[in-house]
Amino acid sequence: MFGISDPGIWIVYLLSILCVIGSVVFGVKYWNKEDENDKKE
Amino acid sequence: MDNFSMYLIVMVYFLAVAFLGYLGYKKTKDSKDFLIGGGEMNPIVMALSYGATFISASAIVGFGGVAATFGMGIQWLMFLNMFVGVVIAFIIFGRPTRRIGAKLKVSTFAQFLGAFYDSKKIRIFVAAVIFICMPLYAAAVLRGGVFCMQEVFGIDFNLALLIFTIIVASYVIAGGMKGVMYTDALQAVIMFLCMAFLVIGVYKALGMGFSEANAALGAISDQVPEKLAAVGHRGWTSMPAFASQQWYTLVTSLIMGVGIGCLAQPQLVVRFMTVNSTKKLNQGVAIGCVFLLITVGVVYHVGALSNLYFWQNDGNISINMVDASDKIIPYFIGRVMPTWFVTIFMLCILSASMSTLSAQFHTMAAAAGSDIYGSCVSESAKKKMTVVIRLAVLVSILISFIICFVLGEGNDSPIIAISTSLFMGICASAFLPSYFCALYWKKVTTKGAYASMWVGVVATILALLFLHAKEATALGICKAIFGTDVLVTNGMIKFIDPIMFAFPLSCITIVVVSLLTKKK
Repeated sequence: MFGISDPGIWIVYLLSILCVIGSVVFGVKYWNKEDENDKKE
Repeated sequence: MDNFSMYLIVMVYFLAVAFLGYLGYKKTKDSKDFLIGGGEMNPIVMALSYGATFISASAIVGFGGVAATFGMGIQWLMFLNMFVGVVIAFIIFGRPTRRIGAKLKVSTFAQFLGAFYDSKKIRIFVAAVIFICMPLYAAAVLRGGVFCMQEVFGIDFNLALLIFTIIVASYVIAGGMKGVMYTDALQAVIMFLCMAFLVIGVYKALGMGFSEANAALGAISDQVPEKLAAVGHRGWTSMPAFASQQWYTLVTSLIMGVGIGCLAQPQLVVRFMTVNSTKKLNQGVAIGCVFLLITVGVVYHVGALSNLYFWQNDGNISINMVDASDKIIPYFIGRVMPTWFVTIFMLCILSASMSTLSAQFHTMAAAAGSDIYGSCVSESAKKKMTVVIRLAVLVSILISFIICFVLGEGNDSPIIAISTSLFMGICASAFLPSYFCALYWKKVTTKGAYASMWVGVVATILALLFLHAKEATALGICKAIFGTDVLVTNGMIKFIDPIMFAFPLSCITIVVVSLLTKKK
C-alpha cells in the first residue's frame, strides 16, 4: 500500500489519514454543540 | 533573493510579532488574563497555539534529520502526536481539565493539581519541578532559535542570543498568555504554509508521485550503511528489525517517550483552561490534527525522501551528504527549493523556536510567581500578582539566557539533551498518573498522588543516571561509583528509555498508596 511493502510503515500512514478524517468529522459534528456538563453548570 | 529582501521579510515578521505582543498587553488587565488569557480565547487561536507550542525547531530540524537517517518509522511519532497529543489530549484530558479548572478557579497546572488534591505541598512540588527542570530545556530551544538567527543575519552568537531573547521576552512579559497565544497563532500559520510549500516542491524535484517515490525509496534499501544495518536499520520504508538497538530507541525513546510525554506537559495542559466551553475544545481537535499532519508529517516524510533525491542526483544518501543528521533538512531544502523559500524556511524554524520558547518562559514564570510565591504570601499581596509574574518571566528568561550564554556556541554539552529527556520523562512519570487520576479515578488520594510524583521523579533520575546508556555514559556518575557505564550491560535494557521504567512505577504507586490511604 502507498508503494510501501512493510506493514509497520504503511499502517501508520493509513492510521494518520483516518485520524485526520475522524478529527475533522468530530470537529464539524460538534462545532456548535454545547456539552451536557457545560449546560448543567 | 537578495539580502535586503531577506532582512525586510524578517523585520516585517518581527514587527508583526511586536504588534501582537502589544495587542496582548492592551487586553491584559489582571493575573487571570496574564496566566490563561482570561479563559476566553478563540478556539482557532487556542488550537494553533497548542500546535505551535508542541512543535519546536528540534521537532522539525532534529527529528527531520532522524527521519532522513532512520526512515519512515518515525511517522509513528507523528501519528501519536496527532492521536495522543491532540485527539486524546483534547477529548479525554482537555474537556474535564477545562471544566474542573473553571470550577476550582485555577490558572496553572500546579494550581490545578494542588487545588484538586487540596494540597499546598503538591502545588509547590509541581511548580518547583517545573521551575527547576524547565530552564535547561528552554535553553536547548533558545539555542536552536539563536543558531537560526545567526544563519539569517550572519551575526555573532552572543549578539543573536541577546536580540532573540529580548524579542521573545518583550512579548511574553508585556502580553502574557494573550500575547503568547496571538504570536503562536501567527507562527503556526507560517509553519503550516511553509510545510505545505515544501512537500509540493519536493515532489516536483523528485518528478514522481507519492506511491512511486515511496517504492523508489524502498528499492534503495541496500544503500543503508553497514554501521546502521548492524543496529537494525532495514531501509527507509521499513521499521527497524524487531528488538534491535534502533527499534528500542525508536519505540521507547522517540515514539513512547515523546508521544506519551506530551500529555502532561504543563505548557500544553494550561491551554485547555484558556477557552470557556467544551465546544471550543471540540473545534480545536480538527485544527490541531490537520496542523500536525502538515507540519511534522511533511517534514518526517520529506526527510526520508531526501535519500531518494540525493541518490538520484549525487549517487549518495542523506547522512553522507552532511556531517550531522541535524544539518540534513536545511541542506536538503537549500538544494531542492528556490532561494526565496530558504528564507521563509528560516522564518518557519524561528517561529517554531519562538512559539515553544515563549510558552516555556510563561509556564516557568507562572510556576515561580503564581504557584511558589503565591502560596507563600497573604491574600492582600496577591493583588500585585501580575507584576510579580512579569518579574518571574524576567527571572526565568535570565536563567535560560545565562545557561545558553555559558554553554556558548561551540559547546555541545550533553546537559541540553539530558535536560530535555529529563523534562519529558518527569512530565510523563511524575505528573501524568496523578493528572489522569484527578480527572477519572474517584478513589485517588492526596497521599497517593504525592507519593506517585516523588516515585516518578526519583525513578526517572535514577534510570537516567544508571540505566539509560545515552545519559548515563555522558554524565559518568555510574562509572564513578560502579566502574561501569550502566548497571545492566547485557541485553537491550541500556537502550530502553527511562520513561518505560519510571511511568509504570509511578502508576503502581498511585494505585497502591491510594487504596491504602484515606481520602481527604
